[in-house]
Amino acid sequence: MSAEGEANGKRATLLIGAPFIYAAAMLVVPIFTIITFSFWTQNYLDIDKNFTWANYIAAWSEPIYTTLMWRSLGISAVVTFFTVTLAYPLAYYISFHVPQERKTLWLFLITIPFWTSYLLRVFAWKIMLGYNGVLNSGLIGLGIIDEPIRAMLYNVNAVVITLTHAWGPFAILPIFVSLEKIDRSLINAARDLGDAAWRRFYRVILPLSMPGVIAALLIVFIPTVGDYITPGLVGGKDGVMIANMIRLQVSKANNWPLGAALAVNAMIIVAILSVTMVVCLRAFIKRIR
Amino acid sequence: MNKTLQTFAVGFASVCLLSNLALNNAIAADDELVVFDWAGYEEPNFHQDYVTKHGDSPTFSFFGDEEEAFQKLRAGFKADVAHPCAQSIPKWRDADLLQPWDTSRIPAFATLVAGMENIPGLSGADGQYMIPLDWGNTALTYRTDKVNAADVRSLQAFINPKFQGQTSIGDNVDDAYALAFLATGVLDWTTATDAQFETASEWLRKAHENVRAYWSDPAALAQLMASGEVNVAWAWNETATRLSDEGHPVIMARDTDEGISTWVCGYVLLKGGEGNEAKAYDFMNAFLSDDTAEHLVYDWGYGHSNQAALDKLDQEVLASMGYTNLDSFKDKTFWQSPVSSGLRERMIAEFEKIKAGF
Repeated sequence: MSAEGEANGKRATLLIGAPFIYAAAMLVVPIFTIITFSFWTQNYLDIDKNFTWANYIAAWSEPIYTTLMWRSLGISAVVTFFTVTLAYPLAYYISFHVPQERKTLWLFLITIPFWTSYLLRVFAWKIMLGYNGVLNSGLIGLGIIDEPIRAMLYNVNAVVITLTHAWGPFAILPIFVSLEKIDRSLINAARDLGDAAWRRFYRVILPLSMPGVIAALLIVFIPTVGDYITPGLVGGKDGVMIANMIRLQVSKANNWPLGAALAVNAMIIVAILSVTMVVCLRAFIKRIR
Repeated sequence: MNKTLQTFAVGFASVCLLSNLALNNAIAADDELVVFDWAGYEEPNFHQDYVTKHGDSPTFSFFGDEEEAFQKLRAGFKADVAHPCAQSIPKWRDADLLQPWDTSRIPAFATLVAGMENIPGLSGADGQYMIPLDWGNTALTYRTDKVNAADVRSLQAFINPKFQGQTSIGDNVDDAYALAFLATGVLDWTTATDAQFETASEWLRKAHENVRAYWSDPAALAQLMASGEVNVAWAWNETATRLSDEGHPVIMARDTDEGISTWVCGYVLLKGGEGNEAKAYDFMNAFLSDDTAEHLVYDWGYGHSNQAALDKLDQEVLASMGYTNLDSFKDKTFWQSPVSSGLRERMIAEFEKIKAGF
C-alpha cells in the first residue's frame, strides 16, 4: 500500500471509529442484552437465568400475543398503504408541477408538523376526533347529528388516521427525491414514441421512482409496527398493539424476559416481511419494464 | 429562497431557545427533595408549611398506577419519598425499596386516627415504613342527568348492556379487583380462594365490554365525565367532589347493594434517595398539618390521617363522608388491605389480559 493509501486508511479509521463505537454501545449491546433476557425467566422480583424457550413458546401459542402481533402488522400494513398512496400524488405534484424556485418552500411547508412533538400531534387528533371534539361539535352545529358519535376515537380507525398523518412526510420526501432524479428526457422520449400520459407514467415514471416508494414503504411500515404512543392514546381498548404489550411486560406486568421475547419476535417478523416486500417489489418493477 | 431558509433557521433557533427556557422554569422547583406521587398531590396547598419554610415546592414526578411506579423505581429512578397505598407495601418491602421512618421526627404520628398506626404490613421489626396520610373510597360515581338512579343501585350497572361504551374503570389493578370482588360478593381479598378469583376475573371481563376508556388519573376521568362521554365510573372521592363543585351533576353512590371500597395511602421513605432527608420530614409534617387536612377533606373529599387535625373540622361533614372512625369506615366495605404477593401478581397479569380484550 502506498503512503497516501495508508494515510487514507488511518483517516477512515478515525472518521468511522467514533460513530462505530457509539453505535455499538447504544445499539448492538442493548440488542444483545434484550436477546439474552428473552431466554431467561422472571421469578417474582428476581430473574432465573436458566436457558429456556418458554417465552418464545408463549409468544407463539398464547392467543393474546399472536392476536396483538397480527393486529399490529395489519394496522401497519393499512397505515403504510394509505400513507404511501396519499404521499405519491403530492410528491409527484411538487416534482412535476411546482416551479423549481418554489420547491424548497413546498418541502419546507410539509415539514411544518415536525415543529411540534409527536405527542402533541397525537393529542391534536384526540381533540379532532373526541366525543366533544372538533368534528363532533362541527357536525352537531351543522345539525347533521344530535348526539356526538362515539365511534371516531378509541378504536383501530383512530390509530390508522393518526399514524397516517404522522408518517406522511416520511413517505413524501423519499418519493419526491426519486421523482426528482428521473431524467426528464426519458419522459419526452416516451411521448415522442407515442405513449399517452397514463402509459408514460406506468412504464417510465413509476418504475424509475420505485426506489423512493420502496424506501417510503419501509420507513413507514417498520416503525409503525412498534408504535405504542398512538395506540395508547387514541386506540382505547380495541386498538391495543404488540408494543403496548411489550411495554406492559417491562412495566406493570413485571415480566422482562417475556417482554424481551415479544420484542425479539416482533423484530424478526418485521425483518422477514420487509425483505419479502423489497424482493416482491423488485420483481414487480422488472415485470413492467 | 436563501433568505427564507435563513429566516427559518433564525426562527427555529429562537423557538428552541424559548422552549428550553420554558422547560427550565417548569422544573426549577426545590431539587433537594423529589416526591414520586399521584398526579394532583403536587398542589402547594397540600404542603404549604414546606413552601413557607423552604421557599418552593419539592420536585414532583408522577405515576398513575403503583406497579408502574414500582417498576420505575426498580429500574433506578431516584426519588426521596413516594405515595403508594397500603396494599403495595409488602411488595415494595420485598424489593428492598423502603427504609423505615423515624417516627419521633413526625409529631403528628402520635395523633394518627386510631388504628392507622398499626395496619398490618405497614411496619416491620425495624420500624414504620408507611405513614398513612389520606384515606378514601372508590365507589360508583355517575351523572345524575344521564343515568336513572334505579339503574345504578347495584354495581352490576358496570355489566349492564345499557351502559355499553359509557363506563370507565381506573387503570389500576387494586381498584379494578376491589370492584370485581365486591360485585361478586367477596369482601376480603386476603382470604379469597382461587375460585373466587376466577369468578371476579370473569365479572371484570364482562365489565370490560362496557368500558369506554380506563382512566389513568382523576383529571382524565373528570374530562370524560364532564363531557358526558362516560356516565358511570368506578372513581375516587375527588371526582364527584370536584365535578359537583364545578357545577356538573355528578354524585358518588355510597349505598349501592354491594357497597364501596376503601383504601388508605401514605408516604414511604425510599432507599437510595439523593435528596435532603430533613426535607423529607419537613414535607411529611407539612402534609400532616391542620391546613392540609382542611383542604384535603373539604376540597378533595378525602380523609386525612391526623385525628388532631380532623377534630378541628366540621364533624357533621366528616360524618357524612364516613371519616369519623377507621373501623366503622372499613366496616361492610371492601378494604384494600395489604395482599399476598402471589395473588397480587395474578391479579396484575389477569387485569392486563382483560384490558387487552382477552
